[in-house]
Order: sequence, then structure tokens, then C-alpha cells
Amino acid sequence: MTINPRRSLANQSNALKSTGPRSAAGKRASSQNSRKHGLNSAPDFESSIEYRALVDLIVEEGFSTFACADIASSLLNYRRVMDAYYGTYTSPEPVDEFLRDANMRASNPIFSELLSPSGSEPQDVKEMAAFFASMQRQERRKGGPVSRRSADTHKLIRYQRSGIARLSRAVRQD
Amino acid sequence: MLYNVHFGIYVDVAMPVEDKSKPLLPFLSSPKLLPDESEAEFQSGLQSLLSELDNPSPLAVALVSQLNECLWWIRRHTADKELLLHEAMARLLSKAGNHWDTYDNHKVSEALERYLNGSADNDEAIWIDEILAESKLTLPDLRVRAFKEAAKYIKMVDDLIHRQHQTIRHLQRSIDSIGYKSRLIKRMDLELAALESKQSVKGALTLDDKSS
Repeated sequence: MTINPRRSLANQSNALKSTGPRSAAGKRASSQNSRKHGLNSAPDFESSIEYRALVDLIVEEGFSTFACADIASSLLNYRRVMDAYYGTYTSPEPVDEFLRDANMRASNPIFSELLSPSGSEPQDVKEMAAFFASMQRQERRKGGPVSRRSADTHKLIRYQRSGIARLSRAVRQD
Repeated sequence: MLYNVHFGIYVDVAMPVEDKSKPLLPFLSSPKLLPDESEAEFQSGLQSLLSELDNPSPLAVALVSQLNECLWWIRRHTADKELLLHEAMARLLSKAGNHWDTYDNHKVSEALERYLNGSADNDEAIWIDEILAESKLTLPDLRVRAFKEAAKYIKMVDDLIHRQHQTIRHLQRSIDSIGYKSRLIKRMDLELAALESKQSVKGALTLDDKSS
């Protein structure tokens, strides 16, 4: 596929207009955009009370000091993943029932008045109706609460995979 | 009596069972359950798994506890597959009737859930039958269509169940390795004790030779 130079130039000039968030509140909000479960951050297990208690328990089983530390932090990491898994499962994105079940033409009195059956409504009203219809489609596509929690939990599979692989390696290394 | 889903057996929870998870730290053993789940059932599953191990170490108990949690997740996800079908059936039903714009999806969903459980009252049952008749669908037809509609999410739940199986395999290998390790340590202890006793007998004999 060849790139149209005019389109490319237009894209570049449009990109210059995209400045991102400007206000402090906007910047603060956008800084948390990718943060949902916190599993990408590196935690400091070594300074926690649970870590010390775990190491004290494992050390009695004949593991080396290095292996004890590795097993304790891997086990805490695995617990962290499973806690996030539980959190995601129990609090998925809520369903906007009003938007999902609303009938844009018949049940919403504002649109009923504004939109005439002949199709001669003004352009901005048409656009507004199209905008709400697209929002409704998006909402419906996400499904009900069970679909949402399944989709959200599905995103954590890779964290569970790496968490258990790390724990298994730590236990079996000696 | 409680039904143990993991082993397909009935377990008498009143039976005195030695609690082998006692030495475990609370943050590893306390389960996070949903409001409608039974802690007694969860604990009975854990105890039946632990009863398979002779004198388990704290680490083994911690790993078995994680394994029990995986089995619990499999159970939750399996129940979700049916719920996904119900969700899709309600969605299809609320769209299918002649007056679909007047049906509230939430109402249809709740009524259908009770209808499928057999707990719907007469009015609800008649209402669902009417919508089915209007849409010229039988319950099996609706279920087939719902399966197609929810296929994407059912696949996701299958992936989640598969992940739990893989995790269980990892945990089993780790538990085996701890068992092997402790057996090896015991064997080495015994061999060391035998060598020490041999050494002391030898020492006593050489002392006897010198003295004679």
C-alpha cells in the first residue's frame, strides 16, 4: 500500500495539534491510564513482614538462604497476581443499563421530539443520535457482567503464567 | 455431608479431621470467597488434599493451599460458562419478540434465570413462553443461538480454565520436588547417622586394641 504524500502531510500537521492533557487534573488522570491492576510495577517484598515470616518458615526445610529468599518472594508475587485476579473478577467494569437498554427513537422523549420520521431533522441532531447509537453499540458489544468479568480476567492470564513459572522454578532449583 | 467437587465424593464435615493447614501463615491460607460460596466446603477440599500428604511441611501446605484455590477457580469458571449462555439467551430473547423495544433486558434476564432454575412464578413463566412463541423459538433453539453469540466469551473462560490446569501441574511438580527433597534429606540423615555410629564403633575398637 502506497502512502499518499498529501495525506501523510495532513496527518503530520494534525498530529502537531494533539497536545495531550493540559490541566494538572488531566495530566494526573492520564498518568493512570494504563494502571488497572498494578501487576506491571516491581514490588518490594523483602521489606514486608510476610516475607520475613515466610523465609523463617522455609529455612527450616533445608533450603539454602538464596533459595529461601527466592521462594518467599515468588510465593508473595504469585499471591499478588491471584489477589489481582480475584479483584478483577469481583469488580468488572459496570454495565450501563440505561444506555444498553435505551431505545433511541421510541423510548427517549428528547430524540422522539427532535427526530422526525421523514428524516428531515437538522444535521447536528442526526449526529447526536448517531453518537449515542455508537455508544450503545459499544456498550452492548461488551456484554453483561459475566462476559465483562471473563474478558477482564482473561487479560491477567499472562501474569498468572509467569507468576507460577517463577514459583515453580524457585522451589525446584535446589 | 458436603459434596467435594474436586474428588466427586461426599465428605462428612462434622468428622474430626486433623487440621494440617494450622502452621501456615494466615495470608496464605485464608480464602477469598464470593458471598454465595461456602468456606466450610473450601476448607474441606483443602483438608482432603492435605490428607494425601504425610506430615506436610509449611511450604507444602502453602502450595497445596494454592492448588486448592486453582480447583476453586475452575469451579467458578465452569459455572460462568453456563451463566454466559444465560446472559446471551436473555439478550437474544429481549431482542427477538415483536415488541422488543418495550422489553427491559434486565427484567428478561432475571425472569429467564428463574425460568431456567425452575423457580419462576406462573406469570413469569407465561411471559417467557409468550416471548419464545412470538420469536418462534424453542428453548433448545435459543440455547443453540446463544452459544453462537457467546462463543467468544466461552472460549475466554475455557482459556482461563486451561490456565488453572497448567498452574495445578506446576504446583504438583513443586510439591513432588519438596517431598523428594525431604525424603532425600531424611535418607542422608540416616546414612550420616549410620556412618557416625560405624565411626564410633571403629573408634571404640581401636581404643580396645591399644588398651589390650
